[in-house]
Amino acid sequence: MITSFVNAITSNTFQTIAQNTDACVKIETGLKAVGRPAFTLMDKNTDKDTRKYAAVKEFLYQLLCFGIYIAVIPPIFKNGGFKLAQKIFKNEGMPAFKNAKQMLAYHHLAYMKPEERLLPKNKKFLDLIDDKLTNPKDNNTKLIEYLVGNKEKNTTGLHKGTMEKQGKMFDLAKGSIELSSIIGSVVGLTILAPEISHLILHPIMNTLDFKEEETHQTSSNGSENGVNGQKILDKKA
Amino acid sequence: MSGFFYNKLKDLCISLGKHNDALYAVLAIAMFKGVMRPTFTMMDKKTDHQSKKYAAFREGLTEAIAFGSYLLTHRLIQFAVVPLARAYNKVNKNQEKSISLKKLQNGLSLLSVCLTAGIIIPVVCNLTLKPIMDGVAGFNNKKGKKNNTKLDIKENESPLTQMQMYSPKLSENSKRLLNTVRVTSMQNYGMKVGG
Repeated sequence: MITSFVNAITSNTFQTIAQNTDACVKIETGLKAVGRPAFTLMDKNTDKDTRKYAAVKEFLYQLLCFGIYIAVIPPIFKNGGFKLAQKIFKNEGMPAFKNAKQMLAYHHLAYMKPEERLLPKNKKFLDLIDDKLTNPKDNNTKLIEYLVGNKEKNTTGLHKGTMEKQGKMFDLAKGSIELSSIIGSVVGLTILAPEISHLILHPIMNTLDFKEEETHQTSSNGSENGVNGQKILDKKA
Repeated sequence: MSGFFYNKLKDLCISLGKHNDALYAVLAIAMFKGVMRPTFTMMDKKTDHQSKKYAAFREGLTEAIAFGSYLLTHRLIQFAVVPLARAYNKVNKNQEKSISLKKLQNGLSLLSVCLTAGIIIPVVCNLTLKPIMDGVAGFNNKKGKKNNTKLDIKENESPLTQMQMYSPKLSENSKRLLNTVRVTSMQNYGMKVGG
């Protein structure tokens, strides 16, 4: 059991996810969408209606956060931030990656063993690394040669450790993507999500709740309603 | 861009490129939410000052709990790295290479973030928010009572009590008013943390 657990968390896929801000925030938001409503429903200090209301609201809010995150972060912050970093660090000899996706594909492949990079499941990443992509700091050597080698030169792909030592992981490019993703996550989840939720969630929740209340009112007389109302207010004060 | 900021930005990017912990993003989100959300709440001109103060304090407190929980679980789970690596190496003696501590650390870090976001923060919030907020509400009520003696005592009385005094059977308007009060209090319940 310990072997499979350690193998799972040290696998390349898990490591790539752990190093990727975008993936981490998506996982975190997904877990919040499940965990928070579940624990809200379990809270016995509050009446059932309020718990249900808060749980639905929390679930919808997290769902909205997830939607905003997917819609805003990759196209605007991840790619935009990367393009900006390429301009700022134009004298640092970064390869001319077309976009953040291409850089991340290279980074993902670099983490693997050379023979693993050629597996069919990794073809989609390898296809993104075209021949035009070269390293200006290494006589414009093609990046694909670092990953899979060159048959003409009789070379094989480089191991991750070697690439790290020789500065072929392009930490500056990878870091600029992560930094812009962190900034994007903060802007998306602390400014955009609450503002959009005010516009979308509150009307939805109000509509849902008013309907529920109307059915409750028709089933009881005025004085009973007042007493029930007082109980609810007392518990939530 | 000036040389100092350029170098700082470059160092930060290189550092994040070399090692980007899952913790960094969630801490940044919790920290900014802890500042921004209470600020936005206090800027809302439609709500009365006392409610704004209550909601802002609760939002700030929730984010403080989230921030502390992320840091603490991350710190605690890092103590498991060496024992886990030893146990793994003991079980897999025949392997040529021992397990990489750095990889194990990264993996456990992501797990700690998931565990904290999905379970620990909701549990801690459920257990601590209500007692703390009740304490704060009590403090506010005392303050309110002091003010009441100087002003009109009926002003701070709940609309419900006044209605019950004057009308045993509630009119349609009163029912609607009660409904609004109930919905507002429902909206104020919950963890109010997103992202």
